[in-house]
Amino acid sequence: MKFVRWLVLAAGLSFAALPLLWMALSSIKSREDAIRPHLNFAPALEAPADPHSFEFEATGSAYVQLSEVHAGAQASFWSHLWSSVVIGVLSTLASVALGTACALGFSRLAIRGEKDWLFFVLSTRFMPPLAVVVPVLLMYRTLDLQGTHLGLALLYTVFNLSLATWLMKGFLDEIPRAYEEAALVDGYTRAQALWKVVLPEARTGIAVTAVFCLISAWNEYGFAMTLNSSGAVTVPAYFAGLQGNIEGMPWPQIAAGALLFVAPIAVFTWLVRAHLLRGITFGTVKQ
Amino acid sequence: MSERGSRGLKLGLVAPALLLLVVFNVFPLVYNVVLSFTNAELVGDGSRFVGTANYARVFSDPLYSGALRRTALFVFCAGGLELALGFAFALALKREFRGKALVLTLALVPMMLSPAVMGLYWGLILNGNYGVLNQVLGELGLAQPQWLTDRSLKFWSILLVDVWMWTPFMALVSLAGLSSIPPQIYEAAEIDRASAWTVFRRITLPLVAPLLGLAALLRATDALKQFDLVMATTGPNDAATQTLSTLLYQVVFRDGKVGLGSAYACVVLVVVIALATVFTRYLDRLKGAQVPR
Repeated sequence: MKFVRWLVLAAGLSFAALPLLWMALSSIKSREDAIRPHLNFAPALEAPADPHSFEFEATGSAYVQLSEVHAGAQASFWSHLWSSVVIGVLSTLASVALGTACALGFSRLAIRGEKDWLFFVLSTRFMPPLAVVVPVLLMYRTLDLQGTHLGLALLYTVFNLSLATWLMKGFLDEIPRAYEEAALVDGYTRAQALWKVVLPEARTGIAVTAVFCLISAWNEYGFAMTLNSSGAVTVPAYFAGLQGNIEGMPWPQIAAGALLFVAPIAVFTWLVRAHLLRGITFGTVKQ
Repeated sequence: MSERGSRGLKLGLVAPALLLLVVFNVFPLVYNVVLSFTNAELVGDGSRFVGTANYARVFSDPLYSGALRRTALFVFCAGGLELALGFAFALALKREFRGKALVLTLALVPMMLSPAVMGLYWGLILNGNYGVLNQVLGELGLAQPQWLTDRSLKFWSILLVDVWMWTPFMALVSLAGLSSIPPQIYEAAEIDRASAWTVFRRITLPLVAPLLGLAALLRATDALKQFDLVMATTGPNDAATQTLSTLLYQVVFRDGKVGLGSAYACVVLVVVIALATVFTRYLDRLKGAQVPR
């Protein structure tokens, strides 16, 4: 029984981690080594004498080439990464601010139809981007928002509002009401009590919510590739656009770029590990 | 405090978010319905009303029924496989051991990553000629199929990537369900000399089932939207892997047929809204009952 348990653990962990390890190895290969038909997985300082050896010569050239512009793309990886950062940060700030305010209202004030509103908020998350993108596209054309950082950031703000509201509602509901009642007795107005007493108590929740909003904006692809196919292209849309590249796929650069792109997410995953379950179930399940 | 001031505070807090959600969700929905009765195109204006012609085309189109069947199969297989594997992993992870937090977090990383980027990168692993999977299979003396170009395999290869990404999600939810079962129940079962299988079937499974149901529904609504992985591996116009979302993309953005695409979108939305309703009802019922904490 114990043996089976360790076997399952080892298998699961390898299945999850090996593709990522392979990504790291591929990123330090030359293109020839990346598409060699035989297995080569051991980095070495020099090119191996035997062409069929498991070794390959480690090189950092893929990382250097990230500043090149590939066929079928308009800018280098770095400029797309910058777009991802700008859009991710802007939309995270906005959706956390709006979502926290909304959750504060639903958590602390008696609002008519609270349950229906909250379910409406949640249901917006189920919309497939491709099914609502055409009206948004036509709207953005009129407003000149297509292919801009602002346009996509705005859309992600709305897209993440459901997540931010539900997560924050969960966190805020856990803060005892006695705190603000004491503040009200001390002569605070209701708004002051919420701002100065309840919000500071929700710091962890706000940080966790921000991380999940950022990750969700960072990874989004459907809206990114349909609305921003020519300007302010984020990394997922840029990478997927390399598919079917006439010069052949620049695999080492893709591995290098993908690694740089997902590394921050791995770090964030570690930081919010205690709240992962809550984050991916919209705060409906608490650990 | 005056009633008026409290009302202002309520509005100030919830109105901005709700207003944005209404503008960006209800408006596209209504506009979609309007567009679906026209022959609007992506470039050039001057569309006219065509009645239900688009809907007639949608329901007689073999592409649509194919994409619908493929999406349903995907939702079913992805949900089932991920649930089974995730639950097995959670069972193995239940007991405490040193480094458990590290193992768990490492195993969970895939679900946090970008499906589009990882889908593209999996193309390197699964490549038929120089992919590492086939290289390993070759070293073991096994067959080396063309994972992403063989017509009968492509779909399952994409499913494999999806299983890689989302099994961690099911594992995490299962683990939460398992750890919420009070140990006294197991102790009582031990006194009664219940067999391991009986304990599993009579205690473990029924107690985690509500939570697994929630996870499966959440995963199904997500898999129904399947777009990123297909786009990054085989593209939007591959007959063997086309899902509802990629078919929509093909119709609207490659063929430029906005009117027809909107009719597709409306049909898809009906399915999504139905599933979302099931989900919220389920959630409501769970909240009324005991939600494991």
